[in-house]
Amino acid sequence: MKINSLNSVLKVPITFKVSGTLSYIFFILIFSVNVFSQTCNISGVVKDSLGNPLEGVNIILIGEDIGAASNIEGKFIINNIKPGNYEIEFTSLGYQTYRTRLQIENKSVIINVVLKEKPVETKQIIVTAGKHEQNISDLPVSAEVIPSKDLAERNISNLRYALEYAPGVNMVEDQVSIRGSSGYSRGAGTRVLLALDGIPFYTGDTGEIIWEIIPVTEVQRVEIIKGAASSLYGSSAIGGVINVITKDITKKPFTYIKGYAGSYDRPSYDEWNWAGKGLHAYRPFNGLTVSHSNTLGNFGFTLALTRIEDSGYKQSGFFKRYVGYFKGIYKFSSLSNLTFFANTINQRSGNFIYWKDINHALVPPDADQGQRTMSNRYMFGLIYKNIFSDNFSINIRSSYYKTNWSDETTSHNNSTTSLYRTEIQTNNKISDNFILTSGVEGTASNVNSNIFGKPTANGFGAYTQADFKFDFPLSVTAGVRYDIDKIKTLEIFDAVSPKFGLNYKLSDKIILRSSLGTGFRAPSLAEAFTSTTASGIIVRPNPDIKPEHNFTFEFGINYQALSNLNIDAAAFNNEYYDFIEPELLVDETGTSFGRFDNISRARIQGFELDTKYNFIPDKLNLSLSYTYLWTRDLNTNKALKYRPRHMFYVNMDYKISAFEFGSDFRFLSRVEEIDDLSRFIIDGKERVAIYVWDLRAGYNFMTFNIPGRLFINVNNVLNYYYVELIGNISPVRNVSLSMELFF
Amino acid sequence: MLKKLLAANLIILLFYIYGCNKGLSPVSETGFSGTITFVGNWPQDITRTHLVVFQNELKSPVDFSLLNLKYISLEIPYGVKSFKFSSTDSSYIPIGAGTYEYVAVVQSTTPDLSLVRSDWFVAGVYYSNGDTSKPGVLEIPENTLVQNINIVCDFNNPPPQPPGGK
Repeated sequence: MKINSLNSVLKVPITFKVSGTLSYIFFILIFSVNVFSQTCNISGVVKDSLGNPLEGVNIILIGEDIGAASNIEGKFIINNIKPGNYEIEFTSLGYQTYRTRLQIENKSVIINVVLKEKPVETKQIIVTAGKHEQNISDLPVSAEVIPSKDLAERNISNLRYALEYAPGVNMVEDQVSIRGSSGYSRGAGTRVLLALDGIPFYTGDTGEIIWEIIPVTEVQRVEIIKGAASSLYGSSAIGGVINVITKDITKKPFTYIKGYAGSYDRPSYDEWNWAGKGLHAYRPFNGLTVSHSNTLGNFGFTLALTRIEDSGYKQSGFFKRYVGYFKGIYKFSSLSNLTFFANTINQRSGNFIYWKDINHALVPPDADQGQRTMSNRYMFGLIYKNIFSDNFSINIRSSYYKTNWSDETTSHNNSTTSLYRTEIQTNNKISDNFILTSGVEGTASNVNSNIFGKPTANGFGAYTQADFKFDFPLSVTAGVRYDIDKIKTLEIFDAVSPKFGLNYKLSDKIILRSSLGTGFRAPSLAEAFTSTTASGIIVRPNPDIKPEHNFTFEFGINYQALSNLNIDAAAFNNEYYDFIEPELLVDETGTSFGRFDNISRARIQGFELDTKYNFIPDKLNLSLSYTYLWTRDLNTNKALKYRPRHMFYVNMDYKISAFEFGSDFRFLSRVEEIDDLSRFIIDGKERVAIYVWDLRAGYNFMTFNIPGRLFINVNNVLNYYYVELIGNISPVRNVSLSMELFF
Repeated sequence: MLKKLLAANLIILLFYIYGCNKGLSPVSETGFSGTITFVGNWPQDITRTHLVVFQNELKSPVDFSLLNLKYISLEIPYGVKSFKFSSTDSSYIPIGAGTYEYVAVVQSTTPDLSLVRSDWFVAGVYYSNGDTSKPGVLEIPENTLVQNINIVCDFNNPPPQPPGGK
């Protein structure tokens, strides 16, 4: 499309065919504005077909490697564009990609675009699988993307709750499991790597993920890679990677305010009602986030502050937290910039560990009454990006993560940890069909704790991955990573993690993918050095603990059955060696103690079926997923602990005018095996299958040009009582009202 | 199309109704209760007194292990003459349904709770039906609170000590 008249307004309907059957119409309003400088801007608003602004739409100038993302009002701006011919592309999860040509002639251009909802998403761009931009349909592995709108619509205040809706993912309290990778290990270690804009984000002592520190309102999307990814990410990525991509900084002042309030329902059983009668039985919670984003010259920033207070549906289940987030970017040029992150959390919470018994399921044991936990955590990150040429770029990521926590148990447990990390990554586009991604990474951590001692750990890794594209059309991925780690007194250990993947587009409708990979996880300092006594149980360090390894295989097929029906199926096999698990032992003096050990040779096999059906374009979407897990401890021939055999999720969205409605259902079968700790908890073995149904409704005031949205969420609608972790009733029915304002 | 939406929700509802009720719920209590009677003067150096239950009888020091130990009460106050207990109260290790061969009141002089056999002295043992020739067997059925599990601790006439003591 050519812009050829000053101050003119064009309304251009463009019609084209998709798969030869459906027609989609984009209405584009294009304005051109005189400017007197040598550079111009492209700005505008992106909306859906109902007139609602679309947030997080990626707008890029093809071949120029510059672009922007639309904000919550759907607005975007791309600055400093020289006159010339360009091709501009609009992409967003769930919407048809739109691309057109522009000729810029010393005029700034305003483009207002209406994106049509895509019948079924297959061409989402993600950056996690290969540490560079890739189309999700080109990957050799299974991947999921959670867009930011899902977080807002579900009133998610803690990212862990958003993951419960992702196919193949389940949570056991705060420990995430992808296709059965993890059970529950009391917060020590994780088999899924969490990253924030590519920076690994786990604590230096326990090696766990602190979900609460993630600034949910500032998340643009969450990318989930299923299966071992140690060939790129090293330790902890043995079961997969969750990469949280934050929102872009806005070019113009933008303020966002979100507030919500709600309450938990009173328990159905009088025995469980600990909070009193009347309104006291309805435990309230609320939260408020204020954020502001702006760009001043070459410097842009986003500052967000969040306060959340939850009185808890369980006695001693309360918490109050303050979360701070700052993201600043300084652009040295259009090809080079430095991004600075600061994430902080201050939290005071009750210390509900387990229930008193099933008859007092929402009350802790008498001895634990009144205990609190205090924590302060800070993460600072730097990302330097320099695009040297169209074919070569470099990313340097550096971070410092400090954690400090203490509790009021009889042991007065406490820990202060510092974790330093630096990674240098290069992307080399050898040809249009060949991208080479390489990097080196170093980590160092030190701990000062009354239960972990004062250990230190150092690690180094180097990796390279090649992505080839043939015309057949076949995509081939081959990569390898070498890691070497030294943890205090433990033996130095190293690991080589190769990976090989194929993606073959059999036809326009069928994509085959397959991958072979290996993963490893170094024991966390907590798993190696914990020394404490809790409730009479002695926990001893294990100086002989080794890393665990796995070998993973996946075969998948994606079938675009209809233009509005996509079916994805995958079968997978994971072989685990030297699986690290907590166990109870007896020494030669007859003294019993617990410790983490390499006790298991384990196997996880299964398949996953994920169907997305767009009943009515732009209005009614349905997704169904089923995951079957056959997990076995090959030493005992029993199922692995805390792994459900069946997971079935149903998610539905319905939009009409400015209203939207949603329904989420998830079923997880009763876990067959739990850990030995259940012996120490009254009724600790009590568990059931999980059936949870959440409903939501929302209204977008943008219809009346009021920049705001309102949602009402009812979670666990039928007030079903279940546990993910033994002795811990999961959230009971709760209702919340949330309001977003942006200007 | 609204019919399809309703149908999908109905399927979920039917799945829900078919599969479950309200999930977990309170149950009748499982455990045991009784009275511990102390005869004579308490030894002065005692720091801890607990009621403990073992699955199997203590025939060797290794049997005094966490794997065999199925119940540890919270501390019994020093110097009491009589103490009523119920295993459904808070405890270090709760007990479930099952058959248990050794129920005893044990004492130690260590400040912290220790699971080393040599740190403990047995002050009283549960005998059933007045038969003091061997420890009584405690049987706890599901959803039943077994009552009258009474133990006498006679400091002047302590019971036989299991192997591994000082």
